[in-house]
Amino acid sequence: MIEVKHLTKRYGTRLAVDNISFKAGAGEIVGLLGPNGAGKTTTMRILTGFMPPNGGSATIAGFDVMRNSVKARGQVGYLPERVPVYPDMTVHGYVAFWAKLRGAPNPRAQADQVLERVQLSDRRNTLIRNLSKGMRQRLGLAQALVHNPPVVILDEPTIGIDPQQVIEVRDEVRKLGQDHTVLLSTHILSEAEQVCDRVIIINKGHIVAQGKPAELRRKLQPEMHLYVVLGGKRDGGEKLLRSISGVEAVEASGEGFNVRVKKGADIRTELIDKALRAGYNIQEMRPVMMTLENMFLDIIGREA
Amino acid sequence: MPGVFTVFQREIGSYFTSLYAYLIAFAILIITGILFITDLDNAAGQRPPDPSVIPTFLSFAMIFFAPLLTMRLLAEEKREGTLELLLTSPASDTGIVVGKFLGSWAYFTLILAITFIYQIILIGIAQPDLVHAISAYLGIWLYGGACLAVGMVFSAITENQIVAAFLASAILFLLWIGDRVGQVVTNIDFARVLRELTLQGHFSTSFAYGLLHAEDVVYFAGIIVVMLFITIRLVESNRWR
Ligand SMILES: Nc1ncnc2c1ncn2[C@@H]1O[C@H](COP(=O)(O)OP(=O)(O)OP(=O)(O)O)[C@@H](O)[C@H]1O
Ligand SMILES: [Mg+2]
Repeated sequence: MIEVKHLTKRYGTRLAVDNISFKAGAGEIVGLLGPNGAGKTTTMRILTGFMPPNGGSATIAGFDVMRNSVKARGQVGYLPERVPVYPDMTVHGYVAFWAKLRGAPNPRAQADQVLERVQLSDRRNTLIRNLSKGMRQRLGLAQALVHNPPVVILDEPTIGIDPQQVIEVRDEVRKLGQDHTVLLSTHILSEAEQVCDRVIIINKGHIVAQGKPAELRRKLQPEMHLYVVLGGKRDGGEKLLRSISGVEAVEASGEGFNVRVKKGADIRTELIDKALRAGYNIQEMRPVMMTLENMFLDIIGREA
Repeated sequence: MPGVFTVFQREIGSYFTSLYAYLIAFAILIITGILFITDLDNAAGQRPPDPSVIPTFLSFAMIFFAPLLTMRLLAEEKREGTLELLLTSPASDTGIVVGKFLGSWAYFTLILAITFIYQIILIGIAQPDLVHAISAYLGIWLYGGACLAVGMVFSAITENQIVAAFLASAILFLLWIGDRVGQVVTNIDFARVLRELTLQGHFSTSFAYGLLHAEDVVYFAGIIVVMLFITIRLVESNRWR
């Protein structure tokens, strides 16, 4: 549905997007994850036909965003970073306007449907200037969905709203995956993990990693950590752990030890064996997952 | 021009929901009403009433009213960010600009049509020169369109509505005063060229006297086309920033 090849965008001499390539299939929810200034908004602006790239190409539902711009734009619903509104229009008038401009067959009825969906029906005739921030965000979502586009592009859809509404918007986005291809950007890792089928991590304009959240975690986790609590004897635990082949480092942590293991090695059998033979018992042994959050910071830190 | 009608409709709607658009209409109607009554009073029993009194007043007043009617058109879209949505919709840049222009021109036309009621009232009490009146109104209608087109260019230049209105007024004033300068310049050819370039030069001695010259129509139509073209390019330039 979305296909991006070697996309590059420069602002003057500053490289904002640097040779990015990725795909999003029908019904897939793909997250662009990156810190401020990573190039998320720029990528989305190219995909929505707002600005042309300096190099590379992108297609939406088979239409090239440069050569067949009008057709490509017709396939997209777009929620920009800052929800753009006409403060003096009513909620319904606003949504119906965008539906009509994008060629929806039945703008007024479709506007009513989408307002139902984002729970703004009771505000149908309210002037937009009187809406709260959370309501505006949902209005922005309504505007992006009203013409039922195959591709939906959402730039930081949960920014600046309260936790309850964040949950609601995320649920709504998850549901979108049933009949839309969704590309959303965020700098919140847990959001990408919860909502997306696939995550693309970008930093300083290029892709540093991509994959399913679980895959990413596996691929990027450098080595396994084990947390072990030994009982039975007081001292010598650290020495024992170090003597096991495959162990790279041991450090005391709380009542037990953090054991860093070489990539691919599995020390668990040997550990149990040796510990029992030396008169220890094992009170606790569990793998320590590096959270995606740590990983994200780690990758970005390595870049810098 | 995809999108032109939808944009036009929204634009008209936004004039009718904005207080300041009503205020402008109100101001124009009050002043023209007073002018009409004064002229009627002066003319009573001595001469036929002057059908171009209102168009002639508007040919000056549009220097200020046109920018007030157009300052919002694109500056507000930029400031609110809605321009980004417009430019990512299937509407063409031309459709967006033309739709907006036609919206402002239609609102001006409506105000003009209301003042035309005075001429119709006259039919009942005097023998107005209707051909003269229609010519003067046609002239000011085109003249107003040209002023609105100039105003829209400045709305596309900045996000700041006040700046847009101020710059547009300044340029319209120059186009208006140019005619007066032409009258005091000693070199006849230069004066003639100067006059050909000004708004007044194509109104005060032709339409205002009930004379319809093709060249004057072409002049105003030309200004409108050129200004729309410039505005379209300016809107397009937002894609390159
Ligand atoms: N109109 C512009 N002119 C010049 N530079 C720009 C412009 N827009 C963005 N940039 C620069 O391009 C880079 C990428 O910006 P972009 O807005 O795409 O990042 P982002 O990932 O959306 O960040 P954020 O999370 O802050 O929204 C940044 O360094 C930014 O300063
Ligand atoms: Mg951004």
